[in-house]
Amino acid sequence: MSDVIVDARTVGRSFAMPAGPVHAVRDVTLQVRAGDHIAVRGPSGCGKSTLLHMLGCVEAPSSGTLLFDGQDVSRLSDARRSALRLRRIGFIFQRFFLLPMLTAAENVELPLSEAGASRRDRQQRTKSLLEYVGLAARADHRPSQLSGGEMQRVAIARALANNPQLLLADEPTGELDEATGAQIAALLDRVNADGTALVIVTHDSTLADRATRVLMMRDGRIEPEATR
Amino acid sequence: MNAVGFAWRSLVRQPARAILGVLGVAAVGALLLDMLLLSQGLIVSMRDLLDRSGWDVRVSVREIPGRGGRVPAASETAARIAALPSVKATLIVRIANARIEREGGPPIAATFEGVSGQSNRGAPITAPWTVLRGRDARGADEVVIDEAIAKTANLDVGGTVTLRASCVSDLEALPPTHLQVTGIAEFPFAGTNEEGVGGSLDALEAACGGNVGDEADLLLATSTSDSRETAAAIRAVVPGLFAMTNDEVVGRLQQTGFTYFRQISTVLTTVTVSFAVLLISVLLTVSVNQRLGEVAALRALGFSRSRVVKDVLSESALIVGLGGLISLPLGLVLASGLDRILKGMPGIPAELHFFVFEGTALAIHVGLLAATAIIAALYPMRIVSSLPIAATLRDEVIG
Repeated sequence: MSDVIVDARTVGRSFAMPAGPVHAVRDVTLQVRAGDHIAVRGPSGCGKSTLLHMLGCVEAPSSGTLLFDGQDVSRLSDARRSALRLRRIGFIFQRFFLLPMLTAAENVELPLSEAGASRRDRQQRTKSLLEYVGLAARADHRPSQLSGGEMQRVAIARALANNPQLLLADEPTGELDEATGAQIAALLDRVNADGTALVIVTHDSTLADRATRVLMMRDGRIEPEATR
Repeated sequence: MNAVGFAWRSLVRQPARAILGVLGVAAVGALLLDMLLLSQGLIVSMRDLLDRSGWDVRVSVREIPGRGGRVPAASETAARIAALPSVKATLIVRIANARIEREGGPPIAATFEGVSGQSNRGAPITAPWTVLRGRDARGADEVVIDEAIAKTANLDVGGTVTLRASCVSDLEALPPTHLQVTGIAEFPFAGTNEEGVGGSLDALEAACGGNVGDEADLLLATSTSDSRETAAAIRAVVPGLFAMTNDEVVGRLQQTGFTYFRQISTVLTTVTVSFAVLLISVLLTVSVNQRLGEVAALRALGFSRSRVVKDVLSESALIVGLGGLISLPLGLVLASGLDRILKGMPGIPAELHFFVFEGTALAIHVGLLAATAIIAALYPMRIVSSLPIAATLRDEVIG
């Protein structure tokens, strides 16, 4: 069985605008394999987030082919793509997007609940995930009672809830100070070391330097010469 | 956490908004319930009143009994009706205006109902009043009076009432008649401010100085079986008169006088439901627009389109459901107050109600509120279902 999780073949993404189409991503070819730790860098507006959203099956490419576990994402219905994201992909956002009315544990439990896990399984998994991110003692706290770093830890636990193959992070340290960002980076390293492929979009060179592959993007394309 | 639990947390998250929505629906729901009770209340109440009287066919010179004109040759007509095999009993009802003398005050204006019944095969004859204390009036010198007269004129069972009745014209100047009060009775068809006196036709004739004539305001009959067949048989033997079953009387009232209440209630129901839809729709739309980023994040995490739609629908259902629950007692209290006010209109029988609670009205109320919850949620559901996930996440970060 192939270890390729995502296989992007000359994918592009363009948006119709009044002034004409905007090509956010152009002809990107990329494979994400199990255990990969990839950082995507580049100036603002170069298409990093759009590429991340395509890799995460949030958006289908306008051109080219994107295969997730061998399935052509463009041919999947919205419901199938949702199911794929729920069970196989985790997302971490710059602004965390924790639900303020839920506790940390309840936020982590949400994807498990949506995936149909039993109450007992949900509770056990939530507990172990909060321990994993070092927030077992904060399980009953609401996001408003947590620091930025703690909120991002909860978001990471939530993203890992259904044991995804691929974790996608869009500027995960963008809202954090340097020290807290370093802690999050270390946690992400650990997630990757434990077997989850990681793709991080970041401006943070410290965070990017921890990746095994760094992709530089400019004008929607990956620059081969700047990529390692 | 299922959609309902999630929706509940969303409501608790913004308590002011939730309370505003619930109270708005409670107020609208109460009005809606009242409009539904009003739309059928008079009909149900009138049917109940007619059925309780114990007579199922009414014969009069007009389509709707009690709207002027008298049945001529009442004794002969009643006898012809009573002779029909499908008729168990008949009652001649004659109504006159009366003035009851009292010491130390002006006379009391009242309506004197004189009745004369004929029973076949021992069927009971029910007077158009209900004796509360004492016994019914039988002889030509006996009457029953209502509580209001008893109280105002300081009378009770065994006392003597002095009254002057006018059977032909209000200009008559008849000598007073002394009648013995045998009972205190309730006159269900009497208006709220209308006092009632009841007795035999002989008593009325005596009070009118023999000027009654052989006329009746109304003839009542009870059937042995189907009242419609009896009414048809009566129409055949007395072709110049209207013989109506209770259902036909109610049906006719429904087509004429009561139709205004139905029209008013239909218009107000539409207005109140529209208001509820707008209120909930605005609240939900504002709420959803405030958390587009969260919804987009949930979608990115794998929450299906149908799930986020269910969350919104559940939120709408919770607001409307809670408001609807509060609206029931609120609506009933409001209906009771409005009923009292409307019954104050002249000529409305005291026993008639404008607002009558019925299972059907409750079912329609629940159905309309459920429809409100769904319709109000349509636009916000559309917002979350068509939300562009990536663009929203991008906008949230830029914003």
